[in-house]
Amino acid sequence: MKKEPILPESRDTTFRDQVLKTHVGEKIPTCIQCGICAGSCPVSHEMDYSPRELVRMVQLGLKKEVLSSNTIWICTTCFSCSVRCPRGIHPTELMETLKPIAIAEGIINKNAKFDNVFSSVIKNNGRASEFLLISRYSMTEPRMIKQLPFGLEMMAKGKLPLSIDRMENTRELEAIFKLGEKGESKIENKEIKEKDREKDSDKEKEKEPQETKMQENENEKVEAKK
Amino acid sequence: MTENESPRIGVYLCRCGGNIGDVVDLQAVADKLKEDKNITVNIQDYLCSSAGQDKIKNDIEKGKIDRVVIGSCSPKLHLETFRGMAKTAGLNPNLLEITNIREQASWVHDRDSKESVNSKVLGLIKGAAARMGSIEPLTPLTKELVDRTLVVGAGIAGITTALELADSHEVILIEKLPYLGGHMIGLSKTFPTLDCSQCILTPKMVAVHNNPRITMFTQTEVADVQGSPGDYSITLKHSPRYVDIKKCINCGACARKCTAGAIFLPFAQAVPQAYMIDMSKCKNCGVCVKVCPRDAINLEAKEETSTISVGAVAIATGFEPIDPSFIEEYNYPSPNILTAIDFEEMLSAKSKTGMRLQKADGTFPNRVAFVLCAGSRDFTGKGRKHCSKVCCIYSQKQAQLVKKMKEDAEAWIFYIDMRSAGRRFEEFYHHTQEKGVNYVRGKVAEIIPKTDGTLMIQYEDTNLGRKGREIFDMVVLCPALIPSKGTKEIADKLGVSLGDDGFIEEKHVKLEPVNTLNQSVFAAGCVLGPKDIHDSVTEGISAAHKVSQFLGKGMILIPPEKPQIFECNGCGECVKACPYNALALDGGKAVLSPLACTGCGICVPACPIKGIEIRNFTRGQLKAQLQGILSEAPGVLVFIDPYAYAAADIAGVNRKQYSSLIRFVSVPSIHILDADVVNAAFEYGATGVMLIEGTTDEKLTSRSDDLYKKLKKDTRKHKKPLRYSHIETAQYEKLTDLLNVFASQAGAKAEKRGRKEKGEKPEEQED
Ligand SMILES: Cc1cc2nc3c(=O)[nH]c(=O)nc-3n(C[C@H](O)[C@H](O)[C@H](O)COP(=O)(O)OP(=O)(O)OC[C@H]3O[C@@H](n4cnc5c(N)ncnc54)[C@H](O)[C@@H]3O)c2cc1C
Ligand code: SF4
Ligand code: SF4
Ligand code: SF4
Ligand code: SF4
Repeated sequence: MKKEPILPESRDTTFRDQVLKTHVGEKIPTCIQCGICAGSCPVSHEMDYSPRELVRMVQLGLKKEVLSSNTIWICTTCFSCSVRCPRGIHPTELMETLKPIAIAEGIINKNAKFDNVFSSVIKNNGRASEFLLISRYSMTEPRMIKQLPFGLEMMAKGKLPLSIDRMENTRELEAIFKLGEKGESKIENKEIKEKDREKDSDKEKEKEPQETKMQENENEKVEAKK
Repeated sequence: MTENESPRIGVYLCRCGGNIGDVVDLQAVADKLKEDKNITVNIQDYLCSSAGQDKIKNDIEKGKIDRVVIGSCSPKLHLETFRGMAKTAGLNPNLLEITNIREQASWVHDRDSKESVNSKVLGLIKGAAARMGSIEPLTPLTKELVDRTLVVGAGIAGITTALELADSHEVILIEKLPYLGGHMIGLSKTFPTLDCSQCILTPKMVAVHNNPRITMFTQTEVADVQGSPGDYSITLKHSPRYVDIKKCINCGACARKCTAGAIFLPFAQAVPQAYMIDMSKCKNCGVCVKVCPRDAINLEAKEETSTISVGAVAIATGFEPIDPSFIEEYNYPSPNILTAIDFEEMLSAKSKTGMRLQKADGTFPNRVAFVLCAGSRDFTGKGRKHCSKVCCIYSQKQAQLVKKMKEDAEAWIFYIDMRSAGRRFEEFYHHTQEKGVNYVRGKVAEIIPKTDGTLMIQYEDTNLGRKGREIFDMVVLCPALIPSKGTKEIADKLGVSLGDDGFIEEKHVKLEPVNTLNQSVFAAGCVLGPKDIHDSVTEGISAAHKVSQFLGKGMILIPPEKPQIFECNGCGECVKACPYNALALDGGKAVLSPLACTGCGICVPACPIKGIEIRNFTRGQLKAQLQGILSEAPGVLVFIDPYAYAAADIAGVNRKQYSSLIRFVSVPSIHILDADVVNAAFEYGATGVMLIEGTTDEKLTSRSDDLYKKLKKDTRKHKKPLRYSHIETAQYEKLTDLLNVFASQAGAKAEKRGRKEKGEKPEEQED
């Protein structure tokens, strides 16, 4: 890996301050680079920069490297780093804070694809469906085709159910997504409840068949692929 | 000053470099103050400098002024300095007061407007001047000191203090364990010179044992403290040893006959040299009693107490390791994961393995890892924030010992920062590197015990940015060093405060490092924070010097602010109320014994005819002060006792910000207050009143709830918020949080009231 020198022009203080101002940012300046986060992280060896390095880079404001790193997308949100950090820094939440910034900046790391598929499945169904996840992700990531025999084997053993379990009432879920898209991290119960009341139950019914249709489409596509 | 002459008050304001001057417009404050013709004002850059003090001195000597109000840093820093100066200038020291406009104003109101801080400062000084106008020139009372010192804890710090003091004073040294030496007797070699711990300590312990001026008690703790500084009556609790130390000649006849293994010598070199019995093992067969040639054993021995009279106390209760089992990922306790203290003990006088380093299976560990900062430097609340200071160096010592015992053994040190500041320490680090010890910069992430008894360590080498795994035979955790159990209890009993790390708070961090806020209590060694033997000894010597200086005065000055009984119908309510038995009825009138009185003021509101006042804190004087404070703008009045006042000062030093509506009124104790004073505060425009108490004296705190409830009831008509809170010196963060919350609540309430008065419909309040 080529290592660029750190020059004044590589440091973006606006970006740094933007991150430090968030609720996870407050403690970032107190990192002592102890490395317990990186040492605990199950996937840090796959990352461009370990959580420790990412924290350091945020301190310096190395915007480009931070936002285009695969680190933020590879993180499994296992929270090991956050639980163990002696300074109470939450690298896990830092990743979550950086993702929308990267998206807003139009920096899409290839590792972001899975996240996109995952969130759209949740948005539509309220629950994760292994089948939908894998099938959709395969379409964005051609190398997944190699996994096909394995997938079929799993299906044969009933480990990859085709049935799609859907949440009955997705109103609260939608509110959560809306807030998420607005970039707000705190979800206030009140707001959701209000939105809940606003909703016309008739509209809800109209929407439902439409979505089921979408899912059917999805299923067909996957069948076709097989 | 003659009776009718009005007081001439000199107000001196200090810029404190820019510390005050940059925040407060002192000139504007001065201009306003000068409107009162009794007041002259002077501003100085540094009042505490000789130029600053000379100015005040001159003004007093020339007769320009006869009372002084200073606006500067906390009185905790310079009140004694200024009062000393006043005395040499011929002014009664009581006629000089300090208003704290630095720690409790210019340093803590960054968020507020300059105007608001200015009006607060102006109000505070006006209040102080108003009270000063009627202050009485009192003379402190004196009391004879008891020339005897109690040293608590016989580690190296306590031993040093005792030996140094015993040159010229009587000392009682108590130790809770059955032997002297503290942690040092459990050390192997000592860094940075690697001399044997026991070899340098034993002569000192023997000297303690033989010194005729030192009375030594082992298995002894402080049970109760009565009396006051300079004259304490302390009850000691002695746990039974079942063997009389004075009679036992250490022959071991008893142990040879005991079938239960219950009677033993703690370890071969233990001082005192006497056997002891572990009653949990003893079968009470009485064999030992029969075989003892000196009749030293008494199986019926019970816990005993004794009472001693001392003038000063030195606390040297040292440290203990944190229990590392809270660090889940380190899997302590497990076989072959030990603390550094266990490691030391294995190679020390206390060794149970014949001074051999060995694993659980008795073999030598060929690969040893040292895990540093286990529980230290942790700001999450799970561990401790502080650095334990000695582990970086002792772990390298231990690593050297491993290499010395077996040249091809491996020793790895996992560290975050290798802290080796101090004379000879960097050289020690260098030398350890030369010995072939492996250093890894990275905090260990996990220690996983394997089925074969080895241990896997997972870590990141932060210098390379790569994860790694290694297998070891033994893992040594270097735990955070924390104040020993019981430090808080003994500090509370003696009225000494602790820092938020639990160690004893020094009177002044830099300038009075072994004094405490109690003038007759001193401290030395690790009870003041982790440190090495060199520093513990240095502090022991310093503490001895300070104790000796204190005792040398022969007398102790007692603050003269005591109750004055100017009207009494003999009802005896005050006598009943006084928790210190300082009042008695004599010939149908209440009489005070001033030396027993602590000036707590409980008797003041107790008197049904308002016949008692604390001198210089009378209702009239307090009310004049409150009126002055609130004359510029409404604010929140906070009555605060000296212990909580210290917390507010620490908040200031740490620049913890809070609302400038907060105005402290320093009182000897919140118990001098009654509804009379609090109602006056509300009438003068206080938007809220807080009572903040910091004392840990249960005789006072047990009455606080009743006081609060009574005040609440009796001031109800004002419909303004009143709150009581207990804040110990260390809890300065809690204090500022509380102040902020209360200030905004009081503000909101005042606003609501304002709107109501104007006839507007109050806005719906949402929860
Ligand atoms: C693993 C390890 C290795 C170290 N190695 C070195 C080294 O090589 N060189 C070096 O310079 N320093 C070393 N140190 C530091 C050294 O141990 C301390 O500086 C020293 O022991 C401090 O002495 P102390 O008297 O302040 O405290 P302590 O040794 O803790 O003594 C306090 C004493 O007070 C007693 N006590 C506690 N509470 C009460 C109570 N309520 N009533 C009565 N008695 C009480 C305790 O039982 C104890 O005997 C090491 C420390 C550790 C943890
Ligand atoms: S664990 Fe915390 S302090 Fe340590 S390197 Fe990671 S973020 Fe920094
Ligand atoms: S939360 Fe993410 S960064 Fe932290 S340890 Fe887990 S995978 Fe690694
Ligand atoms: S002395 Fe070293 S090992 Fe001990 S807490 Fe401080 S940095 Fe950590
Ligand atoms: S001030 Fe306190 S100690 Fe003194 S007499 Fe009154 S109640 Fe008793």
